[in-house]
Amino acid sequence: MKNTVVKAENIIKRYGDLVALDHFSLEISEGEIFGLLGPNGSGKTTTINCILSLLSFDKGSIEIFGKPMTPTSYDIKKNIGVIMQNVAVFDELTVYENIDYFCGLYITDKAQRKQYVDEAVEFVGLEDFLRFRPKKLSGGLLRRLNIACGIAHKPKLIILDEPTVAVDPQSRNRILEGIEELNRNGATVIYTSHYMEEVEQICTRIAIMDKGKKIAEGTKDELKRMIRNTETVTIEILGLEDRIKDRISTLPHVYSTEYDGTKLTVGCSGGKHNLVRILGVLQENDLSFGRVYSELPTLNDVFLEITGKALRDKED
Amino acid sequence: MFLHNLKYELLSTLRHPALIFWLMLFPIFLGTVFKIGFGSIYEEDTLFSSIPTAVVETADNSILREVVDAVSGDDSPLLKTTYTDEDTALEMLRSGEVKGIICSGDKVTLTVKNSGIEQSILKSFIEQYGVYETIIKDTLENDPANAQKVIAALSADVKACTEKPVTQGNTDLFVQYFYNLIAMVAIFGSETGLHITKDNQANMSSLGARRNISPTPKSISLSASLVGCFIAQAVCMVICVTFIVFVLKVDLGGDLLLVYASSIVGGCLGVTMGFLIGSIARISADAKDAVSMSVSMAFCFLSGLFISNIKGIIADTVPWVNSINPVAIISDCFYCLNLYNDYTRYSVKMISMAIYIVLFSALGVILTRRKKYASI
Repeated sequence: MKNTVVKAENIIKRYGDLVALDHFSLEISEGEIFGLLGPNGSGKTTTINCILSLLSFDKGSIEIFGKPMTPTSYDIKKNIGVIMQNVAVFDELTVYENIDYFCGLYITDKAQRKQYVDEAVEFVGLEDFLRFRPKKLSGGLLRRLNIACGIAHKPKLIILDEPTVAVDPQSRNRILEGIEELNRNGATVIYTSHYMEEVEQICTRIAIMDKGKKIAEGTKDELKRMIRNTETVTIEILGLEDRIKDRISTLPHVYSTEYDGTKLTVGCSGGKHNLVRILGVLQENDLSFGRVYSELPTLNDVFLEITGKALRDKED
Repeated sequence: MFLHNLKYELLSTLRHPALIFWLMLFPIFLGTVFKIGFGSIYEEDTLFSSIPTAVVETADNSILREVVDAVSGDDSPLLKTTYTDEDTALEMLRSGEVKGIICSGDKVTLTVKNSGIEQSILKSFIEQYGVYETIIKDTLENDPANAQKVIAALSADVKACTEKPVTQGNTDLFVQYFYNLIAMVAIFGSETGLHITKDNQANMSSLGARRNISPTPKSISLSASLVGCFIAQAVCMVICVTFIVFVLKVDLGGDLLLVYASSIVGGCLGVTMGFLIGSIARISADAKDAVSMSVSMAFCFLSGLFISNIKGIIADTVPWVNSINPVAIISDCFYCLNLYNDYTRYSVKMISMAIYIVLFSALGVILTRRKKYASI
């Protein structure tokens, strides 16, 4: 059995009348990449700040590495690395100086620190920018510097709070690969995001949050099994009559059909060959159709089915 | 750990653009403006320089020539004379090369173009010469035996008053602007001090949050930040005073080491004031910046940076304001050193500043020692 790295029990955090965390509990084991997924304002960052003992909370308890977490738990803090949502570096220091400064808050031995800083620089690929000030770096490079500052001291627990916000796809992939590499090297990772693709890509276990509550938790497969939808078939078609749509609705495993005049969307729950059966009905009625898609459920479908709303805002 | 924090605090503070501008470049610029502006006013209005005068000899007057040569030849001569003909003298007067024309005919006359201090001096000189000439001529005619005694009596430098300087220092009125400039730089250290709270509080900046989740105790990071800001501010004060004294050649008085000392202590006072302002209110970092700058400017105004006699008015009407105004205390230190030569009063001012530093630091630490925040 793996050790528990983070254990939060029944956390309640209020901002006046607003309940930011509502009886929130969490248990993360050693070696996991644990994803906290939720829309903006769902309480992900509040959870992280409570875990780090930056924020006071009204009720509940938090343990890290089996010990209660307090602001003065310096022995615990030594083993935590945090990558904040906002870039937290000194504008006046160079790339190397920034990493050296933050590493030095954890590692006092100079020789060891130098080695760690060099490794962190290499890890994030900033070798060519060591003498640059942060303002001279692009958004992606700045994020990489932010990560280097958080992980240079080789922490056992790494918390990343939306590290890929406003990052180009290339840098985003590099960051995600880096997180997986850190995990392979032995670090337990907590990863918060409202980008479901990222969470699906790297997290071994996921908790979905909404309005301060944990609404679902499990591996991505476990989460997808929680909902009725197992396949969504979309067909581009014109002039679909209601009788044919009704006929499709009666097919086995079909639980919903929607038609907007150009596109038929069919929700299926379980079963195999759903697409073949639906296309068979269209062919029986001599109907021609355009493009056809068959999609497996995403975490957004999970969120949509549980909360009745989409996980990501349109602007995201 | 402390030294590691201190090293990077110093580096980041000394490279901070706002600090470089407000505490290094701005005082140099303002000091230069003061020197150019007030320096010329002072030289014109206060310092005496020889009066350029043309002398036209239309008749032989050996007495006048002797007297004019006498007042033109000292170390600090009254007149800077040019012997010339009448037309040239008039041309020189018109062009402003000379302030007046002394003409030695049957009667000594003075011609000036307009009125002014220098013209009045020339008039007074000619009138006095006329009186002396009459006395000497009368004596030579009526009592030639005593002529030498009369001339000696007239030549004697009789002083009813003796000059007794109240200070060895620079009594130039405009030097107070430089005192206030140094005091302003010191109190602008509040901007440096403000960064201590910004960079150490999780609810003020991401940097503060990152520091708070590190295993470095807050006492160490706060004390390293304070010491770092003190050192950075001291560097700025030394640059400012050195520029004023050695580049602008402004005489700040006798004991330069004590001038440096009070500037540095004043700078530390500014830092702790900013640290306290940053710790007090739960407002945004930008709002704190604005409050700090406003408070500093208000103190500067009350100490006479913008209107020189405001400090005197306050001293007459609400004297306690000057006793609690840090900028007034800092500039008072310079007055004590330069004008009053009062080391007891200087010590009292230095102790007052030290008390402020301890008080502001202690209050700032108490207010920022909070470990957890209700909101971030």
